[in-house]
Amino acid sequence: MATQNKEPGPDDILRPILNTSKWYYVAFGAASAVVVVFLAAWSYQLENGLIVTNLGDWGSGGGVTWGMYIGAFIWWVGIAHGGIILSAAVRLFGMDKYQPVARMAELLTLGALSMAGMYIVIHTGRPDRLVLSVIPSYPWTVQSSPLAWDITVITLYFVMTATYLGLTLRYDIYRLRDRLPDHFDLLYRFILIGYSEKEDKIIERMVWWLALGIIVMAPLLLHGGVIPWLFSVLPSMPGWSGAIQGPQFLTIALTSAISGVIILSYVCRWAYDWQHVFTDEMFRGLTKWLGLFGLLFVWLQLQQIINGVFAADVAAEQVMVAKLEQPVYIIAMGTMVVVLGYIFAQALDKRVFSLNRSLVASIAVLYATLSEKILFVVEGLQYPQFDLYANVPGTYIPSPVELASLAGTLALCTLFFLVIIKLFPVVELHAVEGHDDGDGGGDGGDEEVTA
Amino acid sequence: MSTDESTDNDEPRHPYETDESFHPMGKEWEDQMREELEETDYDADLGMEMAKDAQRLVAGEISEKEFYQSYHDDVQEEFEVDDRPLFEDLDGVDPSDFDDDQSMFEALKDIDLEADDVSRRDMMKKMGAGAAFLTYGAYATQQNGRSDEVPQLVENLQTKEKNREHRWGMVIDLERCDGCLSCVSGCINENGTSTGANWMYVFAYVNEDTDQANFLVRPCQHCSNAPCEKVCPVRARHTREKDGLVLTNYETCIGCRYCQVACPYGVNYFQWGEPDTDLSELEHLEMRPEKVRSMDFDERKEALQTAAEDGDHIYDERGWWTDSRPPTGVMGKCTMCPSRQDDHTESPQGTVACQDACDEAGMSAIHFGDLEDEDSRPNRYLRKRSENVEENDRHFNDEDVVEGEDPDMWESTTNWGRLSSFKLLEDLNTQPNITYLGNEPGPNDKQVDPAEIREDPEKLDTPVSYEDLTGQDRWGNQVVDNRKEHLDYGPSGPPEEEA
Ligand code: SF4
Ligand code: SF4
Ligand code: SF4
Repeated sequence: MATQNKEPGPDDILRPILNTSKWYYVAFGAASAVVVVFLAAWSYQLENGLIVTNLGDWGSGGGVTWGMYIGAFIWWVGIAHGGIILSAAVRLFGMDKYQPVARMAELLTLGALSMAGMYIVIHTGRPDRLVLSVIPSYPWTVQSSPLAWDITVITLYFVMTATYLGLTLRYDIYRLRDRLPDHFDLLYRFILIGYSEKEDKIIERMVWWLALGIIVMAPLLLHGGVIPWLFSVLPSMPGWSGAIQGPQFLTIALTSAISGVIILSYVCRWAYDWQHVFTDEMFRGLTKWLGLFGLLFVWLQLQQIINGVFAADVAAEQVMVAKLEQPVYIIAMGTMVVVLGYIFAQALDKRVFSLNRSLVASIAVLYATLSEKILFVVEGLQYPQFDLYANVPGTYIPSPVELASLAGTLALCTLFFLVIIKLFPVVELHAVEGHDDGDGGGDGGDEEVTA
Repeated sequence: MSTDESTDNDEPRHPYETDESFHPMGKEWEDQMREELEETDYDADLGMEMAKDAQRLVAGEISEKEFYQSYHDDVQEEFEVDDRPLFEDLDGVDPSDFDDDQSMFEALKDIDLEADDVSRRDMMKKMGAGAAFLTYGAYATQQNGRSDEVPQLVENLQTKEKNREHRWGMVIDLERCDGCLSCVSGCINENGTSTGANWMYVFAYVNEDTDQANFLVRPCQHCSNAPCEKVCPVRARHTREKDGLVLTNYETCIGCRYCQVACPYGVNYFQWGEPDTDLSELEHLEMRPEKVRSMDFDERKEALQTAAEDGDHIYDERGWWTDSRPPTGVMGKCTMCPSRQDDHTESPQGTVACQDACDEAGMSAIHFGDLEDEDSRPNRYLRKRSENVEENDRHFNDEDVVEGEDPDMWESTTNWGRLSSFKLLEDLNTQPNITYLGNEPGPNDKQVDPAEIREDPEKLDTPVSYEDLTGQDRWGNQVVDNRKEHLDYGPSGPPEEEA
């Protein structure tokens, strides 16, 4: 790729804002169409109730209570939390090689968190009451309900990420203001309120501290704690309970987020000729990280399998055996093994690496994590401790309305990116300025830079 | 000694002390202490002062000696005694142990303040108010020393005990149940639940090894430590302080179904679609719930009693919509018929519809009542049953006594004689309020699949199937066992000929 040696500059990061190709319209149109279908399906649900899903009552009822909505919810939260951890790590440890994707990861966090929030609304039977019911009881429920904790951290992380993004955006917008389109002037002026160049140093410190906060809190407040506690604290569902869920959720979050970032950067690189911004080297690095976290994910699955089948009690064994016999699970884990095979082969031999293969691997990983999460929710509920009922395990296959929500949130998230990419640079000015110093693109530039 | 506002300024403050309250558990708690003390014949101000200093004692600001000296005279005066019989009657606490190196708070800690079956009110009566003052100190000690053992929800700790009048529950004699499903039908008739939402669910299960068929009668267990309540993000699922009923506020529930997920027993039934029974059939008050709630207690009671003549029973005495079937998108489950327990309906307090139906069928397997009341139906039934068992035992003993053998070896070891009793999944610490008599299901037991019985009635001798109950209640609702099959028809319901 000849263009790779070109120095990236502000022109590159402004290109998406100033130029619009026909593919942009195609993507926008397609995503909007899917969103319309999803909205239609959702209105159908709002009109008739959750009976349009294939969910049911566990127990005598023969169904499962939570299904794809909750599975997809934790998947989106996972991507979001992984994204913010990634970007924080880049800033905290000065991993310059990945700086071009830092903002992308933050945007992914915002998009994914919004989708997770949306799933809460889709999932509940009475979304009309959400605000009026949740707020007045909050001082009490926050003490005991993991669901209230979830709502809290989702809000908290949305605010933190937006702050983070806002702070770093000011630097860029101030410097690129004359070249940004005037029709968004109001937006830019809003972002720049009270800006002066003197603040840059302070902001840099603030961002560093925020990053530190995010990393430190990750195990507890993000996918390592609050989200898995939704399940792991319930002793009556042996498929869920247990302290391993924290680490398991966290590795899945990181695996999914890296995949998401790889996919997004791949598309941008293709669309805007960013070979010199998102270098092959960077993709190789991301692929390696994907391998590391993917390995942790598979390792923790193995831990659970061994614990579930080797002399476990009746209920725990039943759920594990069922899981191992479930084709969806076998496919998901098989996919992970193949992906890991590729990643380690390319680590050993550079020639095995290709951008397209990494893209396929990322898509496969996202499929595997999503299906694992949905299965985790469903099978947990199918194999409760109290399984005397003939209708336990209950049956569940997502209904078209539920599937539409998945397509719909994916499309919405795409739309979110398509809009954002027109508003401000999705790659930081710092990232392309840094290359001016002459250390860009090369090998091993990241290790020595750690603070 | 009485409260003197000005002294507050000079004294070192307890670390917990805020302008509002000296007690770590807050103002509300403090006010409630005062209220309770005022109900006694003793000096409430003195009690509050003692409780406050007890807090300081706990914080190490004053010694026990100082604390005791400063109240010695007051206590003597108040209770007209010389020998400080504060701990009279209290098991396990000896006043003479009470010196400098034996902490009275340590002693007080041993009292099981959180024991479910002793209300604080009773304890106060038993202990005398003086000791009760100190008990508040002990609460403080507990709060400090073993903070993890103090229930998180202060509100629960105080109100549940304070206003508790009853603890409703059941004794269900599985040995009397023959699976006639009368209770199931009775419940549907009372509450208008939708197809497959069998709040009361009775089923046959067989033991793998013995092939013996047993019935399990499964309403909601109305757990005293209900996980469903803890997880609810909006406090719609709650325990009613007055009588321990675990109810759902149908007006605030957001339908997240976390309660259903957290309940270990699978007793919750969500309203996935439109309810089968229309609200207009259930309610004739023609008032918005807010209106009902805004009335004062007597006014509301009267209105609700009048409405009950039309068969209404959707509001409980707080004016909360917690009774009858839930609306769309809201969680439902067995309620233990709160309108009856509030005396709003023609049916007397202390009865439930499923029990009525069971009695009518001549089975009398369900015994509902106040578990705190020695003479309630469930407690009387338990006594009677254990007497019968003992009687049989004795009979058996007399015949079988072998010389040289201790005849007492046949003495019963369980609470109710050798009567086999159990609570479901007690290990999970849910503290269910349903006690079963009969065989406890084992880990490998399984319900006999009703679908299989339908195909092959020989398989098990059950008198009635769920499908047979269709149209038997006053709403003419369809009844099925497997709700999922019914839900799969979607919003429009099953095709006509099947309905
Ligand atoms: S049985 Fe289930 S629903 Fe009923 S109180 Fe206990 S936990 Fe809650
Ligand atoms: S379904 Fe309703 S009652 Fe149950 S936890 Fe959710 S909000 Fe609470
Ligand atoms: S107590 Fe009331 S709500 Fe519960 S099963 Fe019996 S009749 Fe139904």
